[in-house]
Amino acid sequence: MKSFIPREVETLWTLFTAPVVWALHFAACYATVAVFCAKRLPASFSFDSVRIVLFVVTLMALGVIVFAAWLAWRQWGFGDDDPPHNEPTRDSRLLFQGFATLLLSGLSFLAVVYAAVPLMFIAECQP
Amino acid sequence: MTVELGNFSPEERAAQEERLRKVWETPKGLRYWTSVNNSEIGLWYGVTAFVFMLFAGLLGLLMRLQLVVPENDFISAELFNQAFTLHGTVMMFLFAVPIFEAVAIFLLPSMLGARELPFPRLSAFGFWSFLLGGVFVCGSIFFNAAPNAGWFMYPPLATDHEYAGIGADIWLLGLSFIEVASIAAAVEIIVGIMKCRAPGMRINMMPMFAWYLLIVAGMILFAFPPLIAGDILFEMERMFNWPFFDATRGGDPLLWQHLFWIFGHPEVYIIFLPAIALMAMIVPTFSQRPIVGYSWIVLAAVGTGFLSFGLWVHHMFTTGLPQISLAFFSAASEAVAIPTGVQIFVFIATMLAGRVIFSVPMLFGAGGLIIFVIGGLTGVMVALVPFDWQAHDTYFIVAHLHYVLIGGMLFPVVAGIYYYFPFVTGKTLSDAWGKVSFWLMFIGFNVAFFPMHFSGLRGMPRRVFTYPADIGWDWFNLISTIGAFIFAAGVATFVIDILRPKPKPKERNLNPWNSGTLEWTNDPSESWGMRSVPIITSRYPLWDQPNLQADIEAGRFYLPDAKSGKRETLVTSVLDAKPIQCMRVGGVSYVPIIAALALGGVFIALTFHWWIATIISAVITFIAIIWWLWTGTAQIPEMPETDVGLGLKLPIYVSGPASVGWWAMFITMVGDGTAFASLIFGYFFYWTIHSDFTGAGPGPGVFWPMAALVLYLLAWVLTLLARQLNEKGSLGAQAALVAAVIISLAASAAGLAGPYFSGMDPTANVYPATVWIVAIWTVTHGVVGAIMQLYCLARSLAGRMTAEYDQDIRNVTLYWHFMAFTAVVTFAVIGLFPLVAS
Amino acid sequence: MDDDRLTGACRPIRSEERIVRQGSDRNGRTKAVASLFLLCPFLVSCSGIQSALDPAGREAADVATLFFTMLLGGAIIWAGVVGLLFYAARKRRVHSEKNAGRLILWGGAVFPSVVLLALLSYAAWLMPNVRPWFQGADGGMRRIEVTGEQFWWRVRYLDAGGAVAFETANEVRVPVGERVVFSLKSPDVIHSFWIPVLGGKMDMIPGRENRLTLQAEKPGTYRGVCAEFCGTSHALMAFTVHAMQPQDYEAWLLARRASSGVQDAEGLALFLKHGCAACHTVAGTEAQGKIGPDLTAFGERGSAGAGTLANEVEHVARFLRDPGRIKPGAKMPHFTMLPEAETDRIAAYLTGLK
Repeated sequence: MKSFIPREVETLWTLFTAPVVWALHFAACYATVAVFCAKRLPASFSFDSVRIVLFVVTLMALGVIVFAAWLAWRQWGFGDDDPPHNEPTRDSRLLFQGFATLLLSGLSFLAVVYAAVPLMFIAECQP
Repeated sequence: MTVELGNFSPEERAAQEERLRKVWETPKGLRYWTSVNNSEIGLWYGVTAFVFMLFAGLLGLLMRLQLVVPENDFISAELFNQAFTLHGTVMMFLFAVPIFEAVAIFLLPSMLGARELPFPRLSAFGFWSFLLGGVFVCGSIFFNAAPNAGWFMYPPLATDHEYAGIGADIWLLGLSFIEVASIAAAVEIIVGIMKCRAPGMRINMMPMFAWYLLIVAGMILFAFPPLIAGDILFEMERMFNWPFFDATRGGDPLLWQHLFWIFGHPEVYIIFLPAIALMAMIVPTFSQRPIVGYSWIVLAAVGTGFLSFGLWVHHMFTTGLPQISLAFFSAASEAVAIPTGVQIFVFIATMLAGRVIFSVPMLFGAGGLIIFVIGGLTGVMVALVPFDWQAHDTYFIVAHLHYVLIGGMLFPVVAGIYYYFPFVTGKTLSDAWGKVSFWLMFIGFNVAFFPMHFSGLRGMPRRVFTYPADIGWDWFNLISTIGAFIFAAGVATFVIDILRPKPKPKERNLNPWNSGTLEWTNDPSESWGMRSVPIITSRYPLWDQPNLQADIEAGRFYLPDAKSGKRETLVTSVLDAKPIQCMRVGGVSYVPIIAALALGGVFIALTFHWWIATIISAVITFIAIIWWLWTGTAQIPEMPETDVGLGLKLPIYVSGPASVGWWAMFITMVGDGTAFASLIFGYFFYWTIHSDFTGAGPGPGVFWPMAALVLYLLAWVLTLLARQLNEKGSLGAQAALVAAVIISLAASAAGLAGPYFSGMDPTANVYPATVWIVAIWTVTHGVVGAIMQLYCLARSLAGRMTAEYDQDIRNVTLYWHFMAFTAVVTFAVIGLFPLVAS
Repeated sequence: MDDDRLTGACRPIRSEERIVRQGSDRNGRTKAVASLFLLCPFLVSCSGIQSALDPAGREAADVATLFFTMLLGGAIIWAGVVGLLFYAARKRRVHSEKNAGRLILWGGAVFPSVVLLALLSYAAWLMPNVRPWFQGADGGMRRIEVTGEQFWWRVRYLDAGGAVAFETANEVRVPVGERVVFSLKSPDVIHSFWIPVLGGKMDMIPGRENRLTLQAEKPGTYRGVCAEFCGTSHALMAFTVHAMQPQDYEAWLLARRASSGVQDAEGLALFLKHGCAACHTVAGTEAQGKIGPDLTAFGERGSAGAGTLANEVEHVARFLRDPGRIKPGAKMPHFTMLPEAETDRIAAYLTGLK
């Protein structure tokens, strides 16, 4: 794994990994339900199966976020260098990126959990 | 970074200053208006937006007067409906978004240590577009022709020609024009923040303001294009009777609501985040310490930016969508409260860990926060679906949104104006006036809007021009009206404080609040911005970097001189801000005004269906833009490198991903792609709501779409080939470009041939209309792509594009990557999806 | 001047008098002010025929409870944040950055996350509870079809088979203790059907049919309105709601099916002569127009002009002489060319229909 994912990332984009996972998960939930409820096809496929599928998608999304969080945590030196990360050095910048990414992973994790709450309580397509 | 700072004798410095002054000089007299300097454009932008705000505020007072007692006949129902439509529209489109663009354009270069944003003429173009569009939209009410269907413009009311006459067209076209200006500003801001920071200002060193603005500009890029796509559909229905929202011909009014709110909800955060960004600059200054929780702010800004795109359906909770769909959006609407809470606690924590000086900016900031928290809490309430079923479209929502926007946006902006007034003018606003203004605004606001929570829950719907006497709304409305006038008195006090003549301060004090950020080194009486571009080693350089101010003014850092006689600024790398280019930016020019006026002419002429004037204006716009590009971009410099000071030599011309132009193209195309995605969303939306989405009519067939697809891909390959050959210095590049132009045009013809030859009538049903609009979108882009290829050919023939200096072809190639993707999606969808679906 | 317009559908009193009377009713005024200052929700001023905080139905009751709970919680949170803000601004001792950072974590992130998760779960649970699933074809529930038109309501009572039993306008009657399905439609623009005392609103969207189920618990006369902006006279589009005891309701249904419009032959003749029948229906007569509101048993209604006027001869006469003056943008043409005696006669005929 180490060889695939470098310990330090020289890009701004990793910051957005976890929120992007949230966005994809959200879009998947919304689109699946919207199409299922509008089309009602095939008839043999019940709404409960949709909920199960979306639960699995949720678990996968959470897995990816946890993985992103772990990478960020590693970049942050497993938490042994506290903020504010304001030194004029590349190291400090990397620590900042790690910490900010970790925080965003936390928020995204929560947001994905929130999005799964309706799946537990609402069992029909009805308006 | 340890480098020897420059050292100049007083004579040398005077000579440098003379040259700098000449290069950055603001023209006098009428030519003043041709200025493109960020400090002028920012100021004009801000003042204009503020005037629009006062105008919309007056409309608000007009409404409050009408509602002061039940069954009032102060103004007619028609005027009331125009007034509330315009009030919302102007506040959102002509004040809240532009004021932040103004502040950003004004502040960012100084804050980042740049001389100028990368595309000053684009800023000027944006401003003139905004001014023209804004006057056009606002002026309509004086001719009794203002839009009257609500700022959300729901069809079928807004597509009804009898009810919503020319006002709806004014709304659609006037605002589309302004949206284009906003996207231009977003491109400018993103590229400016990523590429134009002072050396050493790594991403963990950026001022908070820049972080917020980066996110906000990114949000604009994804939020505005869906509305532009919606506007296109809407205007096609109004002008040519294409039935996108007409249920009798397969359309659906709900598609507009989706597109409008995909824009509309992020919009709220697009407004809110920059205001909070101002607070993030003010709070540390008056707490006399760096912000606590810098990374938390980044979390909050990025998190809000993302989550705000998962909220739009909470404006549609009562449209009868499945409960489960509503609940997803409810979940995201609750989640977005978390980063917002973090934001507020970052400010409180910073104050806790610092020594707080309570000044007028802090007063407005804290007052805004107290108001905003109420708005946030009611926001949490209305995000819960069952509660929203009751509260939706009532005065409870009116109260909620004003608590959010006035507490979260207007108060911080006023705080920001008090804070930055010395930065702009060198003078300070009055403390006494400020306090009076604050208390009037704060008390007036709460008196006006708090009772609305209760009138709303007691059943008072929004947008009513009158109400009956005995339902129990009378007192609430009377009190609201009184409060509104107290609030207006507060705003008036503030305006008077700004306008009243103020004495010149006795001694020069550039940094009256003892702030820590870089912008306070600027002298407002000079138009060059930074005297020299410093090396940054702290988040608060004025606090932590000794002697910084003096060194900057002594020209001891980068770019202390303007020997080339051109406007220059540094371009640095994205993460660590290492200097990589000395960029020349555009100076004073008529071109942006001409282009903006001509483009405005296109939109205005379209409103009145003056087809010939439309065509003439379009041609002028086209010529102006080509002229602008030809004479103002990708100029081959007289020497490859220049000395930027401190022994550093940097290239003047770079191309590809290292150049700002490439980034601007990339960012623009991302926005463009979002608009395209919205149209495709529309296609599939109609597929979901109908059992036979083709309406049993003909489709475009498979042959022509596939032919267009293949031809477009061929044109793309030829463009790539041209770039490769040009890099090798081969004349084959020109041949490849000629071929590419021909193939692009052929592909475009093939793209339209499908729907045309199968006789698809876009007015008959929504299916042919959708296929046509997607095809037209792609073909238009294909034709623009061909013009770009032609432009590269001309540049190559004129010797303005060579193997070494190849910005043009590299940017055009980037465009064609997006074009190829658009073509694949378009023709696969319209050509192949009907086969799959049936 | 429309000063004599009246919108209090349930209290047919000329509005002008009403204002004067209120003005002289010092007691009433004092009470209103007092209740405002003591915060409406805890006092009588929540009450009202159109108040979501004075519920008469199941959904409204659940939502009102939810609101009061959130109001209390919100007030506490607001006071806490403002208190912290004041403390941070005025404190003597400077706190360490570490402690301040902890405050962000616990106060800004953890606390809201937990509270919001709880609220969200409750709301997600509540949704199917207040608006339960219909089993199959509405589970045998009573159905009423309401169509929003600019600016009035077409109300059709459907029988068990789904056929229209009879039509009426601007008035909805429901039995208490029973869940009723409303089928909501619109032929022109988007309207929104809202009876605050019974529950939340639902939009009426052209090309779609929305369903809303509501259950009244408390008999009484209430008011509903259009909640989505629908054009010039959006403000004047209300209706009366009667929640009735089941046996009264059944009796009313029977009576309503049998009502005939030939109770005043002379008035009817004028009504027909001047072309009213082109748009309006009066059951049991030749008048079978479908464009405007059905006027059968018009005299029973709590208001005229969709909750705009008291249902009295003078107001009805005024309305039918010049509807556009009372209700800007209304589609009905004016009849100012008729002698007043005749319009008065038609108005008397209509208000007499039971």
